[in-house]
Amino acid sequence: MDLVFEEFYRSIPKGGEEVCGDNVEIIKKNKKTIVVLSDGLGSGIKANILSTLTSKIASGLLEKELPLKEILSTILATLPVCEVRGIAYATLAFLIIDQKHQLRLIEIDSPSAFLFRNNQVQKLNYREFELEGKKIREANFKFQRSDQLFLVSDGVTHAGIGGLLNFGLGWDGVAKEIERTVRRNQADLKYNINKLVKVFNTFYGDQAGDDFTIIGMKYRKKRKVNIWSGPPLKAEDDSLLAEKISEAEGKKIICGGTTAQIAARELNKKLEVGLKYYDKDIPPTSQMEGFDLLTEGLLTLNRVLSLLKKYKPGQIPAAGKDGASRFTRLLLESDSVRFLVGRAVNESHQSLNLPINLGIRSQIISQIAEQLRRIKKKVEIEWF
Amino acid sequence: MSKNTLKICIGTPCHLMGAADLMESVENLNHKLREKIELKTSHCIDNCCEKAPVAEFNGKVYQDLNPEKLDKIIRENIK
Repeated sequence: MDLVFEEFYRSIPKGGEEVCGDNVEIIKKNKKTIVVLSDGLGSGIKANILSTLTSKIASGLLEKELPLKEILSTILATLPVCEVRGIAYATLAFLIIDQKHQLRLIEIDSPSAFLFRNNQVQKLNYREFELEGKKIREANFKFQRSDQLFLVSDGVTHAGIGGLLNFGLGWDGVAKEIERTVRRNQADLKYNINKLVKVFNTFYGDQAGDDFTIIGMKYRKKRKVNIWSGPPLKAEDDSLLAEKISEAEGKKIICGGTTAQIAARELNKKLEVGLKYYDKDIPPTSQMEGFDLLTEGLLTLNRVLSLLKKYKPGQIPAAGKDGASRFTRLLLESDSVRFLVGRAVNESHQSLNLPINLGIRSQIISQIAEQLRRIKKKVEIEWF
Repeated sequence: MSKNTLKICIGTPCHLMGAADLMESVENLNHKLREKIELKTSHCIDNCCEKAPVAEFNGKVYQDLNPEKLDKIIRENIK
């Protein structure tokens, strides 16, 4: 069975701040995943700069497989010193997991990780040592199929200070919340992260007293999505394409009104065109038996492209109900994406005199494919 | 039972030329008129995209519409 390592995170800035002082970097390379979490001193833009520098340097050097000592001394030498406090400081936690499921976790001044295994949360076995004057915890273990691992910044273990509690949740309190949430719904990591953020926010009385971040990680089965967009150049290929998409494995999307009409005709299925505008710029979606999503063509594809451009690995995709947001979510939830693209020119669009970059389907799909490859999805395109 | 059928095209050209405004104007019709109309959408009506937005009311196709024109058509042709 093909497994992928999936990870999601959410960062919440301290109440009243625009940016979060925590930063997360996720890198996937050669079947390895590197996750870095850093929490800058204080909050706001200063903290954000500290943590961004720390995590960017760490992830960059880890990617080049430099030793830990080198990474630490580079970070310590680079961080700007805070004018007020006279120190430069950010916490750092990172983990590397390889294709043999072996996981190595290093923590420097950040709260210990939470491992959800056999229906309960446990602490990892750490080895402690000192390097460059810093106390460092290291854990090495085999990540199992049903394990889930959570990393948090100290804003989470302090949740409740200034809110519902006098001294914050503490590690045990957070462990209890994670256990309770994950037990109820082990399959949906995204949902759990959102739920936990809500819980911690509530402890803070909806005004976070510190920046906080939670990252969740687990294995799941690989997912596939197939997209048919555009009528083929040769009309006799209509039936071939309809057959290809209906027999494909995984989720199925049809993108384009004309394409949907062709599919309905060739497969002899009823096409129900939607009425509801969730977003005024994106035409409604339709429904047809056997397909997960049917959207309008060009405008939706352009919005999908702009959503993908903004996406950073590990983020939880936007929750919109319109066609483009749903399309983007399906793409991001999948690991391999297969496009079946018809290149026939839609006569009706020619009369609109659209700007050239908006009007050409094959170009937009190539750009979407490029964005998907950037976030390490496997992309296949077949032209017709 | 609504006796009248209004079909609005939501294909890309019609959408860009204001199909969403047409839909909104139908939803904002007064209650007595609105309940006589069954609203549907379509991906294309009659292939006359250069005269978007297009709608079909009780089987007849109207082109180059705007909310005022559509309102007039509905009031004049409603059964």
